[in-house]
Amino acid sequence: MIGARGLCAALIAAFLAQATGAAALTLVETPSLSARVAAGKLPPVMQRAPREPLVVEDTGGRGWKPGRHGGALTILMRRSKDVRMMVVYGYARLVGFTPDYQLAPDLLRAIDIEEGRRFTLHLRKGHRWSDGHPFTAEDFRYYWEDVANNVKLAPIGPPRIMMAGGGSPVFEILDETTVRYTWPKPNPDFVPALAGPRPLYIYRPAHYLKRFHIRYGDKEKLRRKGKKSGRRSWAALHNKRDNQYKNDNPRLPTLQPWVVRNRPPTQRFVFARNPYYHRVDRNGRQLPYADEVVMNIAGAQIIPGKTGAGESDLQARYLNFSDYTFLKKDEKKNGYKVRLWRTAKGAHFTLFPNMNVKDPVWRKLFRDARFRRALSLAVNRHEINQVVYFGLALEGNNTVLPKSPLYRPEYTRKWAAFDLKRANALLDELGLTKRNSRGVRLLPDGRPMEIVVETSGEDTEQTDVLELIGDSWLAAGIKIFTRPSQREVFRNRIFAGETLMSVWSGIENALPNADISPRELAPTSQQQLQWPKWGQHFETRTKVGEAPALPAVRELLTLYQSWRTTPERAKRKVIWRRMLEIHADNVFTIGVVAGVPQPVVASTRLRNVPEKGVYNWSPGAHFGIYRPDGFWFAGANTRKNR
Amino acid sequence: MFGYLIRRLLIMIPTLIAISAIVFVIIQLPPGDYLSSYVAELQSQGETVSADKIAFLREQYGFDKPMSEQYALWVIGMLQGDFGYSFEFSLPVSEVVGDRLWLTFIVSFSTILFTWAVSFPIGVYSATHQYSFGDYGLTFLGFLGLATPNFLLALVLLYVANSWFGTSFGGLMDPEFIEQGWSWAKAMSVLEHLWVPVVVIGTSGTAGMIRRLRANLLDELQKQYVVTGRAKGLPPVRLLLKYPLRMALNPFIADIGNLLPQVISGAAIVSVVLSLPTTGPMLLDALRSQDMYLAGSFLMFLAALTVVGVFLSDMALAVLDPRIRFEAGGR
Repeated sequence: MIGARGLCAALIAAFLAQATGAAALTLVETPSLSARVAAGKLPPVMQRAPREPLVVEDTGGRGWKPGRHGGALTILMRRSKDVRMMVVYGYARLVGFTPDYQLAPDLLRAIDIEEGRRFTLHLRKGHRWSDGHPFTAEDFRYYWEDVANNVKLAPIGPPRIMMAGGGSPVFEILDETTVRYTWPKPNPDFVPALAGPRPLYIYRPAHYLKRFHIRYGDKEKLRRKGKKSGRRSWAALHNKRDNQYKNDNPRLPTLQPWVVRNRPPTQRFVFARNPYYHRVDRNGRQLPYADEVVMNIAGAQIIPGKTGAGESDLQARYLNFSDYTFLKKDEKKNGYKVRLWRTAKGAHFTLFPNMNVKDPVWRKLFRDARFRRALSLAVNRHEINQVVYFGLALEGNNTVLPKSPLYRPEYTRKWAAFDLKRANALLDELGLTKRNSRGVRLLPDGRPMEIVVETSGEDTEQTDVLELIGDSWLAAGIKIFTRPSQREVFRNRIFAGETLMSVWSGIENALPNADISPRELAPTSQQQLQWPKWGQHFETRTKVGEAPALPAVRELLTLYQSWRTTPERAKRKVIWRRMLEIHADNVFTIGVVAGVPQPVVASTRLRNVPEKGVYNWSPGAHFGIYRPDGFWFAGANTRKNR
Repeated sequence: MFGYLIRRLLIMIPTLIAISAIVFVIIQLPPGDYLSSYVAELQSQGETVSADKIAFLREQYGFDKPMSEQYALWVIGMLQGDFGYSFEFSLPVSEVVGDRLWLTFIVSFSTILFTWAVSFPIGVYSATHQYSFGDYGLTFLGFLGLATPNFLLALVLLYVANSWFGTSFGGLMDPEFIEQGWSWAKAMSVLEHLWVPVVVIGTSGTAGMIRRLRANLLDELQKQYVVTGRAKGLPPVRLLLKYPLRMALNPFIADIGNLLPQVISGAAIVSVVLSLPTTGPMLLDALRSQDMYLAGSFLMFLAALTVVGVFLSDMALAVLDPRIRFEAGGR
């Protein structure tokens, strides 16, 4: 189960294991770096790795074996912006999830949590950034004092997660490698946020960024630089250089296993190993094993084809379940193996009626639970499952999966059986009785009920499913049109209230236990496509957006906030159940199918890639929790086209 | 002739102005501009990160100003060589295009050569052997090429190239050569990949070209001067090449007008399917993401090339065919 169960126990255990393991270890020089070390350009490995490195052991009996250095890991991505995926796959976090979804210190040597509100972070002694500069408490101070609380750099102030219980934390530096954050109230979201696929970054490479900061840099020079690069102020320039997640600045020092070397526009990104990485194996080899990661940019349409031709060593992104048979066919010939991993999403395909849409007539309808129920009842999930997913998917609402301890069958089934009669009756009850000559119902203002459903345009499968939904909705008197778009435009249109209805996947973590935050169920983020403005309202501390207008949604928010202040597991379980019930009954989102397996292709030469895994964004970071820095190549490279 | 040239040149100016106005309006038409939604998204993430940049962009491109003024700013910028800023890439438009232009030229010129090399002999053969078995057979092949959806042919050929010849899937070169300087091995790799897009884009154009050449040549072959030449005992091949074929060449020349924009837009759909590093997919992406300056500059560039291309082909036709010159002069 995905959970932070026994968080503290796990953290302490991990700390003990490392402390004992590290003492006797002699590190081996990485072959690809030895020339630079011999030439004196790089210190030897014993001085590069932290004095207290993280010694990687097999966790959870997945057959992890220490390997050897060398090789370039080739992956395929669609856009230049996907360089950020290396931050996700690299998954060097202060605290990270293990493959068993336990939280364990990673960049940190240890973390002590008292009363859920005082967090003491212990860094590794001798840990260095990828440019060799020490990683210390100063990097945390710089972020907290000079970035998060600088009006120019962060006009809205520190991120929401740093403001638990309405207050900002007291930040203290205890010594060079120890910092402490103390909140007035418990902050259960803090540690999981550090472990996220897009983590909360509470540190910055201060030594690099200070030259762009008005407080430290040469003011006159900064002003000139800002102008020259086409930016108006030092803050804009600082922010442009400081994108640890976007990963688009080759000069920005990092703690990730691989460091990006070139910048867009290009069709091929190369990532070189970080010679100061903090993880080593038990034979004393510094990770990552692969010397390079090569990211080739190709069209989404031909990524399955290229993967099938053996042009990727590790691929799951942009592969669909429907590609499985094609990929399986050339497995032997092209030297790779296809695995089917489980997914942990609440639904693979979900419709999001936009309750913040600008159109007042539609907005009123979408906010009416009876209308959403009718829409859900008019979806023939069984047919979709049979036609598109070979009957292998799970039909039902967007909610927790059966393997979660919080699961109840009614969460999946309520308002999800195909029942046109009932759907039509509900729509009639709403007064939508008039129809035009084609049998499409009319809105109260006389327009026909035509819904434009927008997709991110990355996946033709979504269009196929929509085609099937369109048929059964037409029988209920509602016509839909599909509009494929592009991810950013797609989101922005929803945020702006232009979009009536959209398609995306369901809740990210559908295997929670009661200790996992139920924030996905409450309006807490703009990324929640059914209520972007309500989510934004919470996210920006009521500065932007709108307050939730529905009582049920307000109740969700209250429940979420009481979960945050309730430490007892039994009570938390009650809160979770109530929130799931509200969701099932109100059908805020219309889930269609869940549990569609994800094909994962890995070269047969690549070792330590688990046979069975869970492919999930959060928690999981796709491959991140399985630690690609520990994947290694066995045997010689015999294939062409690398 | 000189007057004709001047008149044609002057007509280009209002044409370009009209096109630029239409392009600008069409790009502004979709609801929501890139900047306003971008601001909303950034705010939601609590990182007003580039709010300064937004303000800067708003000012620089005058988003707060009325549309007519925005249009004027855009046009003046373009005249000074400033094509605007690409939001998607966070780079000036001119820097985004870069290398792609050259690769597009390579693909397009190879395609044109392929089209000509295939359609020219076939067209001549079809016309001189009208209604023969060969005529029907070749015409059938040509139509087959025209009727097969390009993207499908592209996928099939990709698969064939990969599984029979071991060519890497898609792109214009093996991945290891990307971002490398030009070398013999890289040139060979480009050649190895080039034939797929050339054949795919070429096949559809070939059929049209064959039909046009055949029809024109057939017209000419019926004319009296041909009969006279033949009666006077000119050898058939010399007769064909010297008189009717020259007359039938007009469509090839007239096509130059269309070729230039093709060189830039480079058969967008095929390029997307084949994942070619050309300008076509970039134009498509820019339009989809409402990256208005990138898209606008592209469209403007295409329009300018079309206008110049038409001008050039008109000039060539006038030089080649006195009748066109005289008719224009007589107007």
